Amino acid sequence: MKKAPLVAIPLVLFLLLVVFLFKGLFSDPRELDSQVKDKTLPPFSLPDLMNPDTTYTPEDLKGQVTILNVWGVWCVTCAVEMPYLTQLKNEQGVHIVGLYFDQDLDPDFGTKTLTRVQQEVVEMLSRYGNPYAFNIFDVYRDTSLDLGVTGAPEHFVIDASGIIRMHHIGDINERVWRNKIGPLYEKLRNESLNDLANEVSEAAE
Amino acid sequence: MIDLSLSTHRANLVTRIFAIFILLALHVGGVSAAEDKFTFDSEAQRASFLRLTAELRCPMCQNQNIADSDAMIAHDMRRKVYSLLKQGKSEQEVIDYMKARYGDFVHYQPPVTAATLWLWAGPVLFIFIALLFVIRRRSVTPPEDMAAKLAKADAMLEQEKE
Repeated sequence: MKKAPLVAIPLVLFLLLVVFLFKGLFSDPRELDSQVKDKTLPPFSLPDLMNPDTTYTPEDLKGQVTILNVWGVWCVTCAVEMPYLTQLKNEQGVHIVGLYFDQDLDPDFGTKTLTRVQQEVVEMLSRYGNPYAFNIFDVYRDTSLDLGVTGAPEHFVIDASGIIRMHHIGDINERVWRNKIGPLYEKLRNESLNDLANEVSEAAE
Repeated sequence: MIDLSLSTHRANLVTRIFAIFILLALHVGGVSAAEDKFTFDSEAQRASFLRLTAELRCPMCQNQNIADSDAMIAHDMRRKVYSLLKQGKSEQEVIDYMKARYGDFVHYQPPVTAATLWLWAGPVLFIFIALLFVIRRRSVTPPEDMAAKLAKADAMLEQEKE
């Protein structure tokens, strides 16, 4: 009987290993700890994709809850999610802003012209729907790097005061919206509406 | 005659294998030449760049460093490492810059934290426990009676002879 604890050691180790590996079966290796969550947007000053004379800064994303969608015409999954995003915009009035970056338009070694990119963008949006309020053109892809973007599509939920509340890697579909992003979006939108109502009532007093 | 043809055949084979190795070596040279679009201020800076791109991990294709990966994010990170080094940033500053954006994940040398402590403590603990186990076990087994064993073996040998 004295030996019992020692005999149990391999069994306990084995069980620990089983639990560890079993958890691994359901973990997503792409899931990274986002470094920008609960922080303000990194400073940027970037042109509009369609109208490069217009410049955007983080200030332009304040005032309402925004979903910042990182995408490009070369990204197949982006094309797949586009009709659903358009539906979200049309049916629920979700405010979606594009952060566009192009693979082939390398600013230093580029082979494509901006006009060509714009043309491709227009074609793609007319085919799959246009969910975007506007598109910010991340020319040097610096802002993507600052945001910890690993590819496309990726999404950032940004609250009305400009703070990033969620970083979602991968596409948005009905399931993801219902389980992950939708509830947060609704909550943030209600908060911002309440704040607005409070401000209005304070101003009235 | 036969002998001769065999040896030429073998020589042929050796030349061929040699040629393949040379081609491989050339190919590897070609790949690393892809980095040559970067020009460095000094050899030390070039060494820093090579060290950093080997040490930083691509967030997209997870088990490659950014020197190996051809993902766009790896291209961008290489470009960023280069421009940061050009600005006179130290290697540690570049690593911190990447960590601030992609987390500890991005560096192939994990920091010691409560969660990663086990990477170092685990093996040591394992050896310690195993040693303890072996020592306890040895002390439990009674000393073997060699004389009795030899006698038994002798008896068996005798039996075999008969």
